[in-house]
Amino acid sequence: MAPAASADNLERDFERLLGKDRVLSSPDALLAWECDGFTVHKSRPRAVVLPESTDEVQAIVRLLHAAEVPFVPRGAGTCLSGGPTAGADAVVVDCARMRKVLRISTEDQLAVVQPGVVNLNLTTHVTPHDLHYAPDPSSQSVCTIGGNLAENSGGPHCFKYGMTTDHVLAATVVLPDGEIAHLGDPAGPRSPHGLDVLGLFCGSEGTFGIATEITVRLCRNQEEVRTLLASFDSMSAACRSVGDIVAAGLIPAALEILDQATIQAVEASVYRAGYPENAAAVLLVELDGPHEVVTEDALEIREIFKVRAALEVEEATDPNERQRLWKGRKGAFGAMGRIDTDLYVLDGVVPRTRLEDALEKITEIGKRHGVRLTNVFHAGDGNLHPNISFDGRDPDATARTVKAGHEILQLCMDLGGSITGEHGIGTEKLDHVAMMFNAADLDVMARVRAVFNPDDRCNPGKVLPERNACAEVAKWPQMIAKVLDEDLGADKS
Amino acid sequence: MKSIDDIGEWLRSRPGRVRLVGSGSRQTQLPKIDDASLLDFSDCNQIVRLDPGDQTCTVESGVTCAELDAALREHDLELPCLADQASGTIGGLFASDPFGPAAAGCAGPRNLLLGIDGLLADGTAFRSGAPVVKSVAGFDVHKLLVGSHGRLYVAARLHLRLKPRPRFEQWFANRGLDQDQALTLLHGLRAERQAPTVLQLRRERDGSFVVRGRLAGREVHVRAQQRQHGLQPCEALQEFHVAAEPSGEEVIVGQSLPSALGDVLEALPQNAPFAWLGGGRFEAVLPKGTACDTVLQPPLDPGEQRLAAGLKQALDPDGTLV
Repeated sequence: MAPAASADNLERDFERLLGKDRVLSSPDALLAWECDGFTVHKSRPRAVVLPESTDEVQAIVRLLHAAEVPFVPRGAGTCLSGGPTAGADAVVVDCARMRKVLRISTEDQLAVVQPGVVNLNLTTHVTPHDLHYAPDPSSQSVCTIGGNLAENSGGPHCFKYGMTTDHVLAATVVLPDGEIAHLGDPAGPRSPHGLDVLGLFCGSEGTFGIATEITVRLCRNQEEVRTLLASFDSMSAACRSVGDIVAAGLIPAALEILDQATIQAVEASVYRAGYPENAAAVLLVELDGPHEVVTEDALEIREIFKVRAALEVEEATDPNERQRLWKGRKGAFGAMGRIDTDLYVLDGVVPRTRLEDALEKITEIGKRHGVRLTNVFHAGDGNLHPNISFDGRDPDATARTVKAGHEILQLCMDLGGSITGEHGIGTEKLDHVAMMFNAADLDVMARVRAVFNPDDRCNPGKVLPERNACAEVAKWPQMIAKVLDEDLGADKS
Repeated sequence: MKSIDDIGEWLRSRPGRVRLVGSGSRQTQLPKIDDASLLDFSDCNQIVRLDPGDQTCTVESGVTCAELDAALREHDLELPCLADQASGTIGGLFASDPFGPAAAGCAGPRNLLLGIDGLLADGTAFRSGAPVVKSVAGFDVHKLLVGSHGRLYVAARLHLRLKPRPRFEQWFANRGLDQDQALTLLHGLRAERQAPTVLQLRRERDGSFVVRGRLAGREVHVRAQQRQHGLQPCEALQEFHVAAEPSGEEVIVGQSLPSALGDVLEALPQNAPFAWLGGGRFEAVLPKGTACDTVLQPPLDPGEQRLAAGLKQALDPDGTLV
């Protein structure tokens, strides 16, 4: 059947709707939208539109739906799995200009925001009310609440406070056919006799529609925040300290580990934080709560560090000192830029008790493939970020990187974990999904997606591996498949 | 039936409609169906895996809340939403979700359900989520269990996130309050930097109010909070729901933000028994057939209803699960 509206005139229709300055279609202007934080996979979209309201998003999506043109919702583009990377035939609906905080309720401890509100800006906005927004991805100074909702983003403080899904109460959503649904309710994310549709929407990677107004839970600021940094002469000691802290029933706000290679990269960069470069690993522990509770918790943790023979322990309550201790962790990924031209950030999860085992085997995998590996990770959640620094212009280095990454994710699965803890599938892991889910599992997911997005025109070719994904979007996974097929072929021979 | 394979076989061989039953304690929340076969989970009652180091477990749906709580207690762990749920099975608890995800302390069923091993009504087995504390792989089909009352699919096994049992806990119940006193105390407790992990407002039949809940954490802080708010210690509470007289009353369920509680109470008949369950959900006892206005029961969003109907059609196209 022919489309109800002409795809050829779309840009003109968009300009009529939004004005020329909010419709981008020249090749140069589109350069900034050719990838997200997963820079290995690049594809320039057909056009970018910049709506500022729910009505505008709805009008845009109706035009796209009528013209049967695929589209991709986008926040700040900080996703690390290619989620918002669009094919050449797709239009990017960029929500970055939808950055109003619409309402704050201190009594009900919630905020209603547009999707383009930057994560950290929301916390800054509510700080005078002694509140904050808890989920804190490393990119929180630029990433948006809409993107966080689409990806179900995590961050260091998710160990105590939970992921984005735990903080989203309601959302107004423009569905792929242009209809609007109000999911959840500020008083409870689903009606008393209803399904948790919002819980399903959260983390759907922009394939179920575009959230245009989001109600999030705000948390009270704590009386005291204290950060401890312990250094160890082995990664094992750092991991075991994490196990001891958790086993003691303590719930720090964050438990983060950096390995020696990361420490050295950080200390050589502008993110220098004064971490001991001779240490095999450092463990950052953040405690928050009433002063007397934080003090008792810190004493217990220091005892654990002593038993695990920590080399040094630093402790900070002063905001500037705490910021210094966090600077290296927050800047770790940026510091990797010193090591090589490209960085492949993995995102596997293992049960926390298998961390030591996993890291040992990851090192072996790295050595076997001759890749440069660094590790910085959310130890409390067992969420590993093995980072492979490589030169993307070198096909051999790229192939070894891909193979090592594949093996690391398989290792995470073999240890009872997941192929992604917070970055999502996007296009990056399409070829890895089968490690985790069989055909029946994926069929159930496809049925669910079809309820929201029956024609797969809303962020097509993401999350579920499918043969009909457009060639541009499938470029990266095809490269993985080629490398792995060759590898498998070699193994078989 | 013990295994997922057994359940699958049973579903494949069973013509007609099916209703899932745990202990039966929450069946009153569903319309009565006479012609449905019952899929009874009372034999599916194993704690398959309990990993204290990872603070996760995998349980069959028929495990009772009391059994799981006892097993977790041995390891100083808890499933926070069990703190006030002594009756019924874990499967029933998650399928009915009496609190909603905004439960006090951020620990409602949505937050604690990591994944499931499930079956569609036609007996096809599938998995969703993962047995680790963090995973964003694929769509969270398992989150649809919460509030589904078993009408979308069969969740045979649940992967759950556990929390350390608090070092110290103190239940409290301040009784005999008037409405202003009760709301003032409730809002004061909610404004605490560390709010009670369970918090409930009740109006009894005599019109008096009770604010009750559970403080948890280190003893020094719990005692300080107790003193600051003048909280009256009590034994651990077991039952949070209001009860209707079978002859002429019924329980309605709704939702209210804390700031709107005064409006909700005003919209109810004077002295109607009422319970606000901390997570936003409330229950009220009304004479049968009482018309409720939009303050008590706002209309459902048509867009969300359309999606919910679509999900039912997609996962259970024959309408087997009732």
